[in-house]
Amino acid sequence: MERRVVITGSSAITPIGHGKDQIVKSLLDGVSGIKPLRPEEFLSRFIHSKVYGTVDYPIEYDFKRNHRKTMGPVAYYACQVAKEVLAQSGLTEEFITSGRLGVAFGSIHGSPTVQRNIYRIFFGTEDKLAVKEIGAVDYLKSMVHTTAVNITKMFGITGRVIASGTACTTSSQSIGYGYESVKFGMQDAMLCGGADEYDTTTVAVFDNLLACSTAFNETPQKTPRPFDKDRDGLVVGEGAGAVMLEEYEFAKKRGANILGEVIGFACNNNGGDMILPNLTGITNTLKLGVENARINPREVDLISAHATATKMGDIIEAQAIDAVFGNNPHVIGLKSYTGHTMAACGAIETIMSLYMMQEGFIAPTLNLEEIDERCAMLKHVQKVLQQPVNIAAIQNFAFGGVNTILLIRKFS
Amino acid sequence: MQYLLKATKSIQEVTQDKMTRQEIEREVKNVFQREFEIANPEMDADLRETYEFDSIDAIELLLAIETFLGTEISQEEKKQAINIRTINQICDYIEKIAIKRNLFSPA
Repeated sequence: MERRVVITGSSAITPIGHGKDQIVKSLLDGVSGIKPLRPEEFLSRFIHSKVYGTVDYPIEYDFKRNHRKTMGPVAYYACQVAKEVLAQSGLTEEFITSGRLGVAFGSIHGSPTVQRNIYRIFFGTEDKLAVKEIGAVDYLKSMVHTTAVNITKMFGITGRVIASGTACTTSSQSIGYGYESVKFGMQDAMLCGGADEYDTTTVAVFDNLLACSTAFNETPQKTPRPFDKDRDGLVVGEGAGAVMLEEYEFAKKRGANILGEVIGFACNNNGGDMILPNLTGITNTLKLGVENARINPREVDLISAHATATKMGDIIEAQAIDAVFGNNPHVIGLKSYTGHTMAACGAIETIMSLYMMQEGFIAPTLNLEEIDERCAMLKHVQKVLQQPVNIAAIQNFAFGGVNTILLIRKFS
Repeated sequence: MQYLLKATKSIQEVTQDKMTRQEIEREVKNVFQREFEIANPEMDADLRETYEFDSIDAIELLLAIETFLGTEISQEEKKQAINIRTINQICDYIEKIAIKRNLFSPA
């Protein structure tokens, strides 16, 4: 049994805004969310990259204590976008708690802020009582599925839980596995997404691998620069994104506002190096996605590339896109606006692609001033295009050699 | 929460005196206000039904009691707390441990 899967809710907290209106405006105005790295007493002084995709506006939360007590910052982001998506979808409480709705949600490693406090206690003292300062809830706040189960707890969701923790493909897998859960009848709806909080540990990891941008510390908004000849690495960011996926007939019957349709997903692994991008692996992912969606590659008119702005990553991805799609689709790198929001990036980039599809425009890749000749075979976008988007592909690749592609279609 | 607890001195550190039932009740109410955002709890209300107090809160409460008493509560004693349902029962429980440790003043 294969069923159509539609999107009936979407929300994102990103460095360029919270919710559709702000995000669309930032995309149209070319606003960058990259800010100076905030100084803290721990890692920031050792990190060479001094930029971060920052959520620097206030968010008003009204979560009850009973829920707050098991939530680290990452779960605040996750529960907020989940709450907004549930409200937007218009699903009844009866359905939400019926077991027919599941949750696919993740973060790269729970809450690093909470983990940092645990380590501080571990290594800060030999006092026996101090160990007791690790609260009963610290694990619940920092475990890798903290976002998913804080969502189920807050809203009484009783269906399946899928908590991918595959770094940069966390939330593209959430949406993909949520799509498969609905498509094959295991659930009638899935709340899918990912989140990551402000964290310098992640920056330090990429900084040590020489993968972070360091040449634009004085002009944060000039980086990252996907596909540009002067790109010098990724910029870590924070945020969250969630979508509600729903079986089409059910959504239609209840009169839901259908925002778009998920038509395909593929995920594979390079089966080798954990860090270096792999042309064969990525090319196969894109082919598998197109096959899964049962479309001709020429039907894809927008590609949201993973495009982290690393030297090799962008070139390999460009070669894979060229091999599968040629230079027909417009190609954009949305991390140029937000930085690399880690576990959230797949969901955020899917949502931004959906917004462009709904509003009929394509946002350019920011900072793409002079295209690297090794990436020049693609149809890059350097200024806002007012034009319809029917099918978009969202590509994401992660450490560990995990690759994903999601395909979404405009709903009419 | 751990940082709040850190700031709370045990009754012995503060007074060097034994504690009374009134002091126990006052401290338990303080803990409920501070840690669980429950102001003026009813002494005999079912905590779970009335205030959504759950197993996680119970563990945090035991930690707060240890800090207040300035003494460790053994695993066996903690297991005895499992049937506690009301604030009054919490105070009874603390009183019992305080008596055992010679920390209680009946006055």
